[in-house]
Amino acid sequence: MALQPPSPQTNVPRFDVANVVDAMLLDSRVKWIAIVYEATVGGVDRFTITPHIVDPT
Amino acid sequence: MKSRALFLLLTVGMMSSCATQKMSGDQLARVAKDWSLSIRASQVIPVYPLTEDLQPGDVFLVQTPIEEQVAVYLAKGFLPLENLVTRLSPAGYARFYRGWPHVADGDKAPPRPWQFPKDDSPDSDFSRAPIAAFPTYSFSVSRSGGLNLAIPVQSVPVGLNLLDSASANGTITLKDAFTYALPARTMYDAVHQWCRDNADYLSQYGPTEYAADKKLAATKFYLRVINRVYLVKTVDVSLFSNRGFEAGGSAGVPQPVQLLNIANATESAKQFAAVNEILSKATSSTTKDAGSPVGAVEGAAPQPLAVGGTVKLAMATTRSVSLVETFRRPLVIGYLASDYPIEARGKCASPVPTLGVLEGHRAPAGRTIEYQGCDENCARIRPWIKQGANQQTLETWLEQHGGAIAIADLLTGDYAGLRQRVVVELIEALQ
Repeated sequence: MALQPPSPQTNVPRFDVANVVDAMLLDSRVKWIAIVYEATVGGVDRFTITPHIVDPT
Repeated sequence: MKSRALFLLLTVGMMSSCATQKMSGDQLARVAKDWSLSIRASQVIPVYPLTEDLQPGDVFLVQTPIEEQVAVYLAKGFLPLENLVTRLSPAGYARFYRGWPHVADGDKAPPRPWQFPKDDSPDSDFSRAPIAAFPTYSFSVSRSGGLNLAIPVQSVPVGLNLLDSASANGTITLKDAFTYALPARTMYDAVHQWCRDNADYLSQYGPTEYAADKKLAATKFYLRVINRVYLVKTVDVSLFSNRGFEAGGSAGVPQPVQLLNIANATESAKQFAAVNEILSKATSSTTKDAGSPVGAVEGAAPQPLAVGGTVKLAMATTRSVSLVETFRRPLVIGYLASDYPIEARGKCASPVPTLGVLEGHRAPAGRTIEYQGCDENCARIRPWIKQGANQQTLETWLEQHGGAIAIADLLTGDYAGLRQRVVVELIEALQ
């Protein structure tokens, strides 16, 4: 049984975006990742990171 | 000849009520599907019934699960827009349509400057709106099959009666088509801001799991947000009779109109004018009812003749008629949208393109989770999986003990207990 594909994550702070993306890319099925600015909370930019297996365009 | 045409047109007026009463629910549902399938072929999600009261920023609450959405979409041809929750008015038109004349935000945001260019007139002027073009659709109609109203424009039943035919093939051309939109990125900000402001309201629509006794099914709600709409002002319908007309006929049997008689051009022009005058009288009563609330789709009987418009005869022979129907203002025939899943505590998750899902392109990889931060155990696992075959070891362990969740979910998702086990059972045990 293969692992489930990584889930989209919300509320990811800017300083940890790279690590979350890195972890998502451990799954070789992930071909696209969308990083969308969500809000700035307490001076920290927050992002939604969405991995895609199928071309989202 | 004029009296004969009058007889035919009077039957048109009566036909809608009589036919509607006779048609079964299945036949009416087929009306919606036939029309919707045509529009769907243009990669647009159909609206049924047609309405002008739908615009980017409209937010609908829909409950149908994505898997069921596909089934409903394939069965009905369109997606019911169940509950209109709010109408967002995000600023962004002026920037998106930079340099486009008369496009602004606020009260002058589209479609208002095109819909009501003059304060004292209900007539529209979409000449400055972005135009769109649709292909010509072919269709078949048959009175006996109850499909004579398969297109929600008046021209089809009118044309059938003029042809005096029980069945016909036809083409429909959507002319004077327009489109406008707001980018999904702009809509995303507006939706999430609205979600934050209305978290208490949305929290009642959070997902529920299957009850332990299986008596209560899992539910999931979505906010369907319209990004782009397509409007049409004019519809050309051409009908070609499937059979020839029997000669003779008994008294009182209506005969086909024969307007295109080039041997007598003057008489033809008079007949055209007479028929169009009758048509305008026959259809004028329905123009007052233009537009229907979108939310009334589900469970309501379709109103094939209620969209309202003026019908004019463009051409007629013994075997064919062409009619032009013009709506008072353009009506929305389709849209593009995004679905925002409503998560626990009323939080809105990442959007999913509605059409993409319906066409089988499931965009996101899994359900949305909230970032929990990288705790002490996460900080130990991250460098560890980079070493040797540890990633493979962890994947195997997750398959057996961790519900096969993804490593990314394990690291920063709500899995503190699982991370602790990984540290104890893998990292420390292997040292």
